[in-house]
Amino acid sequence: MHIPDGFISPQTYLPAYAVAGCAWVYAAQRVRQALGDETVPRLAVLTALVYALSLVMLPLPGGTSAHVLGVGLLALLFGVWTAFLAYSLVLALQALLFGAGGLTALPINALAMGLAGAAAAVGVYRLLAPRHETAAVALAAWGSVTVAALLIALVLGVQPLIASAPDGTPRFFPFGLAITLPAVVLPHLLLGVAEAALTVLVWRYAKTRGWLARSGDSPHAPHAPAAQSVPNEERQG
Amino acid sequence: MSARVWLLIYAAALLAATLVHDPYWLGGTLLVAVIASGRDRWRLVRRTVCAVVMFNGVVSLGYALVAGLRGEFSPAYLLLINLRVLLMVYLGFWFVSRVNLLQALAFSPTLSFLATLACGQGLALKRMVDDYQQAFRSRNLEPPDMRTRLRHAATQGADLLDKALHGATETTQAMRSRGFFDDPA
Repeated sequence: MHIPDGFISPQTYLPAYAVAGCAWVYAAQRVRQALGDETVPRLAVLTALVYALSLVMLPLPGGTSAHVLGVGLLALLFGVWTAFLAYSLVLALQALLFGAGGLTALPINALAMGLAGAAAAVGVYRLLAPRHETAAVALAAWGSVTVAALLIALVLGVQPLIASAPDGTPRFFPFGLAITLPAVVLPHLLLGVAEAALTVLVWRYAKTRGWLARSGDSPHAPHAPAAQSVPNEERQG
Repeated sequence: MSARVWLLIYAAALLAATLVHDPYWLGGTLLVAVIASGRDRWRLVRRTVCAVVMFNGVVSLGYALVAGLRGEFSPAYLLLINLRVLLMVYLGFWFVSRVNLLQALAFSPTLSFLATLACGQGLALKRMVDDYQQAFRSRNLEPPDMRTRLRHAATQGADLLDKALHGATETTQAMRSRGFFDDPA
């Protein structure tokens, strides 16, 4: 789903950097408040986790597979701002260490997948969890993938409108919304189902391990102190 | 030049590549970058082409088809977008091959520490995923069904979370014991 370098106009990525910059500063403050001393190690490990989750293959019908997005799971377990920061960091490190993705697309990828995807997951979960928790987790994961895909499709689709030559020839991504919306969103509706199934299975495991109330920024323990981040079994023994 | 200056030059070059819309300028700059990158150039060219061929191929073919049907096909656009992407990706690989990112981030000890920790943990978790996937392949002579593959993916996800959370606690304790959080005053 990532947008690579070269297809996004400066009219898009420069304002996106301004928005993402504000969001990064705010997220860093929120995460620091929630985690205290643990901010740096926890964020580093969660960044590594996002990277590793993206290596896990999501099974699709017909023997094919796709990479896990994982942002819904992270947001449900650790909260929107932690997920956003970890996702942004992994995108930046992938661009600067491995040359994957790109610096011009970084704020858009981070805002779409890391922030909007995470916020959608937590929003859907909070809305539906009182009625049926498993369905809430599944729809939250599906929603995170779908919302992220929708935003990416919108950003790509408006490029011909905002960055074309005087004769109408595109200068960056060439297709309008009529093409990008179905081309990007429809496959992700199916990918979202597989991601939802995976998220539910990992969620159940996380519940048995007592992880859900561990993060101060998570939707389960919005005011949990940082000291509670020691695993349950370690606290007991 | 320091790693930080290279990082700034790289960022400025990316910005410039999106402000220039002349394929000749972009092509010329790409040629200069390829020549200037020395003995590594063919490895970098190969990496760049491999990285962009899929996405650019799909976009270029799609554009040729759609614009051709509408009678709006512009070969200059195809040249422009492909040269721009090639240039930006080539500069990225060149930067990565020449500059140590951790040195470039040295102006911020927190950022530098975060990147170092994340890279180290990321490699450890990647090894774990590789082990899982090789073990799964070696234990399934026939292609496994969807349910089995989903359970395998979920097990990997759960174990990654487990290892990551324990890693975070371990790292925090190690940092605390070494006085990392102590007030320097």
